[in-house]
Amino acid sequence: MMSAASARAADVWRYRELLRGLVVRNLKVKYQRSLLGFVWTLVNPLLTVTILVVVFSHVVRIQVPAYWAFLLSGYFAWNFMLQTLTTGTWVFAEHSRLTRSVAFPSEILVFSAAGSRLIEFIAEILFTVAALVLLHHHGVPASYVLIPVLILLQAVMAIGLTLPVATLSVFYHDVYHALPIALASLFYLSPVFYPASMVPEAYRALYFLNPIAGLLTLYHDVVYSGQWPSTLLLAGTAAQAALCYVLGHAVFNRYAAVFPEVV
Amino acid sequence: MPSSTATQPSSPKSSEPGRRPAVELRGVSKRFYFYDHRTSSLREWFIRRILRRPIHVRRASFSLRDLDLRVDPGEAVALVGRNGSGKSTVLRLVAGIYRPTAGTISTSGRITAVIELGAGFHPELTGAENIRLYAAVLGLSRRELHGRWDEIVEFADMEDFLDTPLKYYSSGMEARLAFSVAVCLQPDILLLDEVLAVGDAAFRLRCLERLRTYHARGGTLLLVSHELEQLRELCTRGVWLRDGGVVLDAGIDEVLAAYRVEHPPERSA
Repeated sequence: MMSAASARAADVWRYRELLRGLVVRNLKVKYQRSLLGFVWTLVNPLLTVTILVVVFSHVVRIQVPAYWAFLLSGYFAWNFMLQTLTTGTWVFAEHSRLTRSVAFPSEILVFSAAGSRLIEFIAEILFTVAALVLLHHHGVPASYVLIPVLILLQAVMAIGLTLPVATLSVFYHDVYHALPIALASLFYLSPVFYPASMVPEAYRALYFLNPIAGLLTLYHDVVYSGQWPSTLLLAGTAAQAALCYVLGHAVFNRYAAVFPEVV
Repeated sequence: MPSSTATQPSSPKSSEPGRRPAVELRGVSKRFYFYDHRTSSLREWFIRRILRRPIHVRRASFSLRDLDLRVDPGEAVALVGRNGSGKSTVLRLVAGIYRPTAGTISTSGRITAVIELGAGFHPELTGAENIRLYAAVLGLSRRELHGRWDEIVEFADMEDFLDTPLKYYSSGMEARLAFSVAVCLQPDILLLDEVLAVGDAAFRLRCLERLRTYHARGGTLLLVSHELEQLRELCTRGVWLRDGGVVLDAGIDEVLAAYRVEHPPERSA
């Protein structure tokens, strides 16, 4: 099994130029002909963040000091997962012509969806770091050194979740109908606009079965609180991300060979 | 699911002992499933499984049956046959796009398959950007593309248009662009699936010339085309497929003559 996995990895590496080309293409096409261009990647989520801050500070009052900083620290990571899952699920149908006529490891399509989103995320997280360093922490907390690790975790997790969903969508179009509902529910079941500490103790273990819960809490700890996260949380979320990836890729591998015939 | 995997190294055989074939298919069968209604929703699965009511019939169809084919390095082979005879399936199997249902396929050397011209082209990107992307699709590294860039641009003869988005190209220009990338590759084995009918007469001549040069340099060619005259000019050997099996495997003139008897030009599909 290991040699099969490394053979696939070698295959993906051989087509890295294609991966790069697709990521560049995704970004170019998305921001073509727009005046603000790349700035939109920030404007859109920031508008949502502003509305959420207003609502959850002044209407439904969540008791979190500097709520804006709290929300900002985790929101972009959530947005990354959301967007990767949404666009990533479509990739195989979208690229049916390519899949049918070229022999390439098709997981590259999902990687490229995650990859272009990741580049946007890096711009977003830099903005977040700048904003929090200047306006919240008034300095750079030592914990920020962990941010690249969190980014890696979220990328692995996102791909691990998207691969099986996208694979299933090739055979069952119900996925396209179910996905928006699932993601909307996930928004409430993840600590996006509220901290995980608000979840009653009795349900917390269950709550953290959701890998996104762990990921976002890590972001809250590291970026908002400026603290080193608990080892348990870090290790647990890393394990969840790895598990998602291994299982997700396994599901994909099981059916990928037939894609050129059915897509 | 396929029971055997493709691309295992094979031992040299029979006619040329010690010489590894470029492409070898042994006992290859390929079965496709056709659904009268694609099971594309849980509702249909539910009706079929739980309520046990037949909602569709699943037909299996063999596109290829127990096919043997061997191509030695440096050969230029034409695959002819009616639509549906399995020619494209053979190319896709050799390229590794499909997996065989039975049998083994082994290849030696770098393969580039041009099955659909311009797969991966995006209308919003410019000609130059699409060249880059298409080259990556065909497996070219950045360094290789850099080395070939001038050659590709010169061959396409569209330098003024390279910074224009592809959606403003005519379909002929688009095809020429794609073909220019494909034809400037230097793989060991080149597979072309009905891509020769591209561009005007002058362009076609250049394509033929380029392919001839490729072959002369020792490249292996496996072509599917309905342009029988072009096949005669490029290939030395022809393989006539019908209903997933080989009818005739001989010199190109012999095969084309026999094929023409069965399928006179006016009616050839």
